[in-house]
Amino acid sequence: MNRWLRAALVAGAIAAVGCFVWSSWPPNSQYAPVEISFAVVGLSFMVAGIAAWQRWPASRLGLLFTIVGYLYLVPYILVNLANPVAWTIGNVTEGISGAALAHLGLAWPTGRLRSRLECGVVVADYVQNIAFNTAATMFWNPAFSGCNASCPANVLLISGGSRSAWNAFNTVEGFVGFLMTGIILTLIVRHWRSARGWSRRAMIPLLWIAAAVGAENILTGNLFHFSALVTYALLPLVLLAGPALFVISTVRARTAGGALGTAIVDLEPGASPGRLRDALARALGDSTLQLAFRRPDGSGYLDTSGQAVDVARPGPGRAVTPIADADGAVLIHDAGLEHEPQLVRLTAAAASMALEHSRLQAEVHAQLEQVRASRARIVEAGDAERRRLERDLHDGAQQRLVTLSLALGMARDRAAGADPELGSLIESASKEAREALTELRELARGIHPAVLTETGLSGAIQALAERSLVATTITAVPDGRFPAAIEATAYFVVSEALANVAKHAGADGAQVTIQRRPGRLVVEVSDDGAGGARPEGGSGLRGLADRVASVGGVLRLDSPPGGGTRLEADIPCP
Amino acid sequence: MLRVCPDAWGQTRCQTGSVQPSPAILIVDDHDGFRTFARGMLEAAGFTVAEAATGAEATEAARAVRPGLVLLDIGLPDFDGFEVARRLATVAGSPAPVVVLTSTREARDYGGQIAASPAAGFLPKDQLSGTALRRFLAQDR
Repeated sequence: MNRWLRAALVAGAIAAVGCFVWSSWPPNSQYAPVEISFAVVGLSFMVAGIAAWQRWPASRLGLLFTIVGYLYLVPYILVNLANPVAWTIGNVTEGISGAALAHLGLAWPTGRLRSRLECGVVVADYVQNIAFNTAATMFWNPAFSGCNASCPANVLLISGGSRSAWNAFNTVEGFVGFLMTGIILTLIVRHWRSARGWSRRAMIPLLWIAAAVGAENILTGNLFHFSALVTYALLPLVLLAGPALFVISTVRARTAGGALGTAIVDLEPGASPGRLRDALARALGDSTLQLAFRRPDGSGYLDTSGQAVDVARPGPGRAVTPIADADGAVLIHDAGLEHEPQLVRLTAAAASMALEHSRLQAEVHAQLEQVRASRARIVEAGDAERRRLERDLHDGAQQRLVTLSLALGMARDRAAGADPELGSLIESASKEAREALTELRELARGIHPAVLTETGLSGAIQALAERSLVATTITAVPDGRFPAAIEATAYFVVSEALANVAKHAGADGAQVTIQRRPGRLVVEVSDDGAGGARPEGGSGLRGLADRVASVGGVLRLDSPPGGGTRLEADIPCP
Repeated sequence: MLRVCPDAWGQTRCQTGSVQPSPAILIVDDHDGFRTFARGMLEAAGFTVAEAATGAEATEAARAVRPGLVLLDIGLPDFDGFEVARRLATVAGSPAPVVVLTSTREARDYGGQIAASPAAGFLPKDQLSGTALRRFLAQDR
């Protein structure tokens, strides 16, 4: 809002209220409370006008509030000025603030009248107000109220006035006013009924206030005759509801803004777009809110319930707000919300943040999944490579050494009788060859146990237990084959654990248990040794834990000092 | 009385003259060097020898040659030795041959599979000799 405009409005409000006080000074003891209430009502509309102008710069609501405020106070000031022309104008325009108030009610909440028909109704209301007041004034002689030369003259007075004519006009005005109030209330109810979402909720306070003002208009209008005091006391109270409308709508927007923040904070991680829409709709109090995403193939949009949405033509009373950084996602909401641009921005920002958050989360999950998969692939590739090496040794060097060893054995047998010296030379060569063969076998087994490839876990664990340097019992091991990576992992856990038992535990015995549980394989190796093993110790447990993790499992170590050691690998297994 | 003394390999045994009627032996191994060597050794020991390089060839040869003993490598390119042993056990007609599994690996590398197969036993390749095979034949009798 322009600061000059604001300064002018503030100055105008002060001037108007100042004039009102000055013009009615000294206060009439009987009407003093009523006059104070007039000043308060007028001022409250002017203040609401300034605030509304500030909050909705693009809307006419600020102007309308301001106009109601001036139209309310100025006629009283004019009447009090003790000037014939001013007095006459004051009387003619006395009820025009009511027409302006009806105008405001019909323009709520956007500040614009909805149709030509409604424009016509508003104009007719202004015109009938001035017309009947003018007509009545023409027949009102100030002397009727018992004031003589002290009262300002009525400029419009014709032929000394006529009380009965004045009464007749007032009665007709009462009927017409009754009719107009009915029409305007009906229109406001229709606005409420046809509104959806945000606008419908915005109409609710107006509905109550319009009902109260309407009832007051009808009761205190010229149709019924209450005492002046009732009229003057009731009117300001009801009129204060006008500025209250502004306060209520402001509080509502603020509350919605705050609720948005809470809704986003409370949104559980990884919530679906549908949940996000629900949270935003709840915070805004707009159940018609839609969150729509561009279809993957780029042809149009789908909302969170899977309905196709035409973003170019969102339908009457609907508006589209794009969400920043959300790959073309949009919010489709009640058009009435556009008059709260701050709130729309806030909603779009909240949605953007939440969507960005879920996108990042999904990205991190995907990356983590990729890393997991690649780690598993690396380990599997390593296993495959070790299997290949073992096979190559078996098919190549071992085979040749076997043949060599056999040949040397035969050569020794044949040389033994003829040349004992040659015989013992060949014998030592044969022994070397046999030892080389044994070492090569051990090496090959260390690279990858053939027994695992050949027979699976059961046979391989059996072989491990037989070779173990500590007496090892197998309490359970499932028969049947498992995926190679899982077999290899379980095998290495047992192999490494038994090696540790032999090296560090000082145990008399060890126990191996492998159990098939739903969806997993649990490998457990325990001993009755010294305990006190630490995962970070140089016992190869770190590498073993990595190996188990590569197939998505966990390794647990339980090794209280003096209480033996229990190593458990829990491996997911289809 | 069949005496097989084809060359210098079997001198010792030929000299003893106490050779039992030796049945034919089928060597099944995909390693040419080993097959050739084993053939020489076993022929020297008085056996008639036939060769096969794959599991399929082995069943074929078993039908044609009707060997008394099959020296069967476990690692074959098509079927493994255990599968070949099962097939040999079901060859219709004459009595099934004695099957001796062999490998450069040790028996324990195969867990319980050797015991579970219809083979008569396992002989590590580096312990191959005519005597060892005769022991299997004697067991079978």
